[in-house]
Amino acid sequence: MRPVSVAGTGTTAFGELDAGLKELGITAVSRALRSCAVEADEVDALYLGNFVAGALEGQEALAPLVADGVGLSGIPAMKTEGACASSGIAFRQAYRAIRTGEHDVVVAAGVERMTNAETAEFTRALGSAADRETEGATGLTFPGFYGLLLDRYMHEYGATREQIAAVSVKNRHNGVSNPRARFRSEITVDDVLDSRRVADPLRLYDCCPAADGGAAVVLAASDIAGELTAAPIRVLGSGHATGRSAAYRYDDLTTLEATTAAAESAYQQAGIGPDDVDVVELHDCFSPAEIGDSEDLGFFEKGEGAKAIVRGRTAVDGELPINPSGGLLAKGHPVGATGIGQIYEVCKQLRGNHENQVEGAEIGLAHNLGGSGAVSTVTVLGGPTNV
Amino acid sequence: MSEAGVPAFPASKCPECSTLYGHPVHACRVCLSESTEPSPIDGHGTVYARTTIRIPGSDHRNEAPFEVAIVDVGRDETVRVTARIPGNPETAPGDPVAFLERRDGAFYFEAV
Repeated sequence: MRPVSVAGTGTTAFGELDAGLKELGITAVSRALRSCAVEADEVDALYLGNFVAGALEGQEALAPLVADGVGLSGIPAMKTEGACASSGIAFRQAYRAIRTGEHDVVVAAGVERMTNAETAEFTRALGSAADRETEGATGLTFPGFYGLLLDRYMHEYGATREQIAAVSVKNRHNGVSNPRARFRSEITVDDVLDSRRVADPLRLYDCCPAADGGAAVVLAASDIAGELTAAPIRVLGSGHATGRSAAYRYDDLTTLEATTAAAESAYQQAGIGPDDVDVVELHDCFSPAEIGDSEDLGFFEKGEGAKAIVRGRTAVDGELPINPSGGLLAKGHPVGATGIGQIYEVCKQLRGNHENQVEGAEIGLAHNLGGSGAVSTVTVLGGPTNV
Repeated sequence: MSEAGVPAFPASKCPECSTLYGHPVHACRVCLSESTEPSPIDGHGTVYARTTIRIPGSDHRNEAPFEVAIVDVGRDETVRVTARIPGNPETAPGDPVAFLERRDGAFYFEAV
């Protein structure tokens, strides 16, 4: 097994964009390739995360389309799909291909186009990540899954709606200074609690917005990465695990086991624990998700995550900054692009040039989650001093 | 019908290892047997968690708002299922419910 590093990164802004699906993918990948000194003939493979292009855009075979669009025809190119964790999986497959020695340089990317779809069609397409045969038949939506989770979390731990709303307030605040974010304005706790009900007890501002976007990284064996960039980011650990397929399958709905398992293997491989992490981008598709994720990743005891938010412990200047990019709640959630979008933000932190820079950040963690907690990837990254 | 006019809940059981299921399975998760047999259980249940869907997907466009709950059903033996609660009674964790029917692949319970 050999060490792997991120040599190049590229992204589009996330938001309501005019660009088409293929263009978003091509733009992100070409930006990643041009951000480092890699030549096209050095790239051995491309993995592309995407979730709903088939359902919403009628476009499949995306990976070869994007590869051909950036002059990489001839190499193996393939799509990875794991609902909202699709590109976290793309990153992991690219990483494994290098780590095991099969390839030297691999592009991992993600892309999604969503904002042109009508809400009901879009909700149906995203709902395809749930088990249609069981929960799909009841009409349970994705916000509905997190509505159930929040209902149980508040019941078990006495958390308040105000505490949960503080997640959206924090992440929207962080998004104000991130030019890649869809939402660049502040909101208050009252704005969240007065917003339209979506899936009780969830309200509109508890939900991340849809977005269009693409993100990509160039991964390389660490000895090669050192020749491609002056600031390689080391992949210290990578975990990927499967969880429960539906809400009724959980004994404890407040703990998503895909996350705990992926985190355990990523921490173990990196030889670190949660206390060693300096900055986190985690999967805040809904405000209660950030609370649960922060506990499942081992940063807080069960039931303590909501209090930590309110006390500012996860703010950019807090002891453990979570989602300084604004997260999915402010950046938006172009589902297939989100996982690599998170890794892009963490790399920028570790290179010390993020708009919401966390002082002295050396170890960062990115957490991507798909379906009803069905699949998760956790990636631990180390800054230049760790290479 | 079981006691108090509550219909029995149509659980199924693995004939080889006796694992009980609420939602139908295609293979037993414990022993991978491919067949199950009907094993009705008491239709009284308790809400584990509840949401009310106000913005539905296109398959359920004309039904909103509607209540979905995770329900623990049964007495001596229990299973956990996801179900509809008609009439939007806004149930809460711990509330009692009773099985009504299974229709179009979904379980329906009423608040009691």
